[in-house]
Amino acid sequence: MRREALIVNTLVELADNLVDHFDIIDILTLLSDRCVEALDVDAAGVMLASPGGELQFVASSSESMRVLELFQIQTNEGPCVDCYRSAAPVVNVALGEVNGRWPLFTPRAIAQGFHSVHSLPLRLRGRTIGALNLFRTSQGPMEDDDVAAAQGLAHVATIAILQHRAILDATTLNEQLDHALTSRVVIEQAKGIIAEATHCGMDQAFGRLRAHSRNHNEGLTGVASAIVAGTLGANDLDKPK
Amino acid sequence: MSTERLIDIFALMASHESENPHGASLCSVAREITELSGAGISITSKDGMQEQLCTSNGLAQKLMDLEITLEEGPGHEASQNGAANEVSDLLGDEGQRWTFYSPEAVELGARAVFGFPIQIGAVVFGALSLYRDRTGPLSEDQSSSAYLMASVIGRAVLVMQAGAPRGAIANELQGQSTFDFTVHQASGMLSVQAKLSVKDALIMLRAHAFAVNVSPAELAHRIIDRDTRFDLQSGDWLETKLENEKYEH
Repeated sequence: MRREALIVNTLVELADNLVDHFDIIDILTLLSDRCVEALDVDAAGVMLASPGGELQFVASSSESMRVLELFQIQTNEGPCVDCYRSAAPVVNVALGEVNGRWPLFTPRAIAQGFHSVHSLPLRLRGRTIGALNLFRTSQGPMEDDDVAAAQGLAHVATIAILQHRAILDATTLNEQLDHALTSRVVIEQAKGIIAEATHCGMDQAFGRLRAHSRNHNEGLTGVASAIVAGTLGANDLDKPK
Repeated sequence: MSTERLIDIFALMASHESENPHGASLCSVAREITELSGAGISITSKDGMQEQLCTSNGLAQKLMDLEITLEEGPGHEASQNGAANEVSDLLGDEGQRWTFYSPEAVELGARAVFGFPIQIGAVVFGALSLYRDRTGPLSEDQSSSAYLMASVIGRAVLVMQAGAPRGAIANELQGQSTFDFTVHQASGMLSVQAKLSVKDALIMLRAHAFAVNVSPAELAHRIIDRDTRFDLQSGDWLETKLENEKYEH
């Protein structure tokens, strides 16, 4: 599918999601997936700022431990941190040439086979609330069109977070952000429960959460909360087809 | 840049901690950082009751006593719902949600109250109750500070419950990122192994990490890699090898 068509489809899909069962982690995961499909990138993810200004991972195109670690390591350094602090895009940074700019992040990213990174700010009414992070394995810069498209998708992500408020009846951006960050933690807790109870890896555990959430038209966080609360058994989850 | 605020909190805690009983510094810091009239922290006990951890001053103490006795109020509600609440005027419409608490709180000298849950993911530990002697909502800065303080308190409570020595709290908290996915995943796994709630599993993980002198993150990695597991039957932590069982990766 042509990139433009994919992007339009993504916007429509996200708009649908905003009206239907609504879950911020679902939406940001979908956004990350679509970035990988529509743009010339190999991994994508979203980090949001906690009230203390610390970036926290909330969603990505891949649940592999190694990719999650690449986000987690970006607490005090990394493209997301630079992007968030400057409120400006960090684009086409070739990891082989960073010269010690991100001493913890860079070697790990290179070890995962990534050659360049890009980070686009999520901004809402003059406040930067996080960043969309993209990773590429191919050499060379990302095309301008792709960068523009990524920024467009980042805007959609930001609006999604804003819309979240309307449905949840939350009154402040702080509450919305807090909810998104908390939701991610619930999902990680649920992954652990599922992995242990059904003897699978963390990746598969997320897959089961997602499959069940889609089949039952329930938000991802809702299913995860039920697992943590014990009202839904890990072994009762639908399996991905 | 609000990371500076986090640094301020830790600095305040370090300076308050030596003078106060375990945990009391959290309340005085909460009050100071939000610039309000008083703060109180309550922890939810095993049977679901609100118990006081600390209060920052006389007014806060009386209001906390009121909340706990009446089972109504900002902290009580926040810990029950896992969501923040704000009553910028106890004598206004919003104040009517607490039939007994609101008028009594006004008698004692409060005019606005705010409750924030203390939680880590799905696990709600308790609440931070904040009071002001005048009406009015929280500013965005105050709200940010309160959320931040609630997350710091959550981690501090974990550390305390895991048996950290006095004076270790500020150091321990500074050393770790607020979000470590491995610790949360491992808590989930441990909750199944030990047949505990995720909350208790989280505390158990940290306590064991202290006991064997590794960081919680390192222990979490071992649990996730299935090198270590808790065996409920023997009540022991076991070092396991991967030969016997195959897991999907």
